[in-house]
Amino acid sequence: MSVDYVLMKGNEAIAEAALRAGCRFYAGYPITPQSEILEYMSVHMAKRGGVFIQGENEIASMSMLFGAAACGARCMSSSSGPGFDLKQEEISYLSAAGLPAVLVNAMRYGLGDGEITAGQDSYWVSTRGGGHGDKRLLVLAPASVQECADLTYLAFDLAEKYRNVVEILSDGAICQMIEKCVLPEPREHDMNKFDWALTGKPREARKNKAYNLSYYMGYEAYDRYMREKIESMFENEQRWEEFMLEDAELVLVAYGISSRACRSAVRQARRDGMKLGLIRPISVWPFPRRAFAGVPDSVRGYVSVEMSITTQMGEDIQLATEFSKPLYAYLTSKEIPTVEGIIAYCQEILAGNIKPTEVL
Amino acid sequence: MPVFRKPESIINTAGYCGGCGHGVIQRLIAESIEELGLQDHVIGCVDIACSFWSQDALNFEFIAGPHGRCAAVATGIKKVRPDATVYVHAGDGCSYVIGLSETIYAAIRDVPITMVVVNNGIFGMTGGQLNLATTLIGDKTLSSKAGRDPKTMGHPVDMLKTIANCDVAFAARGALYDVKHIDETKRYIKKGFQNQVENRGFSIIEVLSPCPTNWKLSPVDAMAKIKNETEKVFPVGVYVDRGGKD
Repeated sequence: MSVDYVLMKGNEAIAEAALRAGCRFYAGYPITPQSEILEYMSVHMAKRGGVFIQGENEIASMSMLFGAAACGARCMSSSSGPGFDLKQEEISYLSAAGLPAVLVNAMRYGLGDGEITAGQDSYWVSTRGGGHGDKRLLVLAPASVQECADLTYLAFDLAEKYRNVVEILSDGAICQMIEKCVLPEPREHDMNKFDWALTGKPREARKNKAYNLSYYMGYEAYDRYMREKIESMFENEQRWEEFMLEDAELVLVAYGISSRACRSAVRQARRDGMKLGLIRPISVWPFPRRAFAGVPDSVRGYVSVEMSITTQMGEDIQLATEFSKPLYAYLTSKEIPTVEGIIAYCQEILAGNIKPTEVL
Repeated sequence: MPVFRKPESIINTAGYCGGCGHGVIQRLIAESIEELGLQDHVIGCVDIACSFWSQDALNFEFIAGPHGRCAAVATGIKKVRPDATVYVHAGDGCSYVIGLSETIYAAIRDVPITMVVVNNGIFGMTGGQLNLATTLIGDKTLSSKAGRDPKTMGHPVDMLKTIANCDVAFAARGALYDVKHIDETKRYIKKGFQNQVENRGFSIIEVLSPCPTNWKLSPVDAMAKIKNETEKVFPVGVYVDRGGKD
């Protein structure tokens, strides 16, 4: 049986996988480097009988999505950096009402407007953010075009399973690169299958309300529900990939585009006699703490490789390793890390020339 | 002899203050929906301000989302449930201040929903602060204690004139200060729902409504203020009626 590969951009793979997962509502506002998702939806959504809206801004796009999600439709929006900031309000409201939705955040570098080029400094806004209040987003970080498709397809199921917002955390490199990809099977979504959705019910039927779950459940029951849901996501949704961990002296920890340079660096370093390994978080929330339980005693330290100014993921590595080994951070800001750079940094660590990183 | 009945869609009391116009408007909405036979397929959209109480009072499905975003939330609902009757019941803070953009773009998109805006010239739920769009010049509020001064706070704006610049199905303003005007407001609201049944486009009905609690007036004096002052700035009547055009 032949496998049908297609060549696609990461952004296009996300959009097409969403449509194949039954996504029939998209609203968003253009921002580089993810505008192709919006453009793809503008062409293909109507062909699948869905709704595409170019919003007047991010907030309105998300408010429209809030309404559609409450009706049981599979919904997506996408943005980057400053645009994703504007989505925080509705992420909090979606979370309060227990509404599923899939959001894409294609990270670009920098504070404020920053740059339109790739970055990885939206780790905290993704893993800690989502507006005010106590909740967690499930955050999945693809490292290839194939994973853009696979994780997006999965994201809709997870969003509905937990009635939770799921974020696809890509970056300006992963979303712009073109690779071969096998697309998932198209399927239809029944927006009437939920017992919580707004359908506009007849007078004798019990009515659903899309609002704070706490208002209807009572605060005690709601607190318990949220705690159990978050624990369940933490227990069941840790995803990661390990690469050459056995006998490693230094373990690189990287996700998204940085993890690809790290994988090459591990291979190259081992040819030169330096034993590196790699843990690649696929879920960054929940951070795959379990991955660190199996790391051998030979490890002398961890190296967080991130495109940011200070380490953001380092805090999660420290928690996962219970501060048991030194943590180093190879931070390349707006440049994609290189194999040579990673190897040189690791050589300096092993030579004792680099101090462990303080997580600030 | 005709019997004055409560619409069957009203199933609960609401938390409105005495003399508030929201309850009258809520009733006019319920009457219009029932008279058009729509009550078995309705999704209401309320703001998280005074109109929120309506979702406890009426036997419809409801959504209450972020403050001010009602027109956008209702747009999302109508797009995925086009057969449902989708309406907004929200205040002038929601619709004309924090959510002005959402309201205008629902009008620009000509989304076939019915939007009822309660113009009481004040932020009621938060205890009576200035409404930049609707507080009258000279009116004292908690955030304009010496009275609204146009030099620093600008003038109130007739938003229906702004909305009339968009190609919408229907835009009208009613008032609640006497039976004649309540009847007229009811006709406007019913027309807004009728337009939705016929998929004609965006209908907005603004209602001049009293807030005795925050105006610090008796209910009777509050009605007199609307008649003598508010209506002079915000004239009642039909601003847009596109008729048969789709």
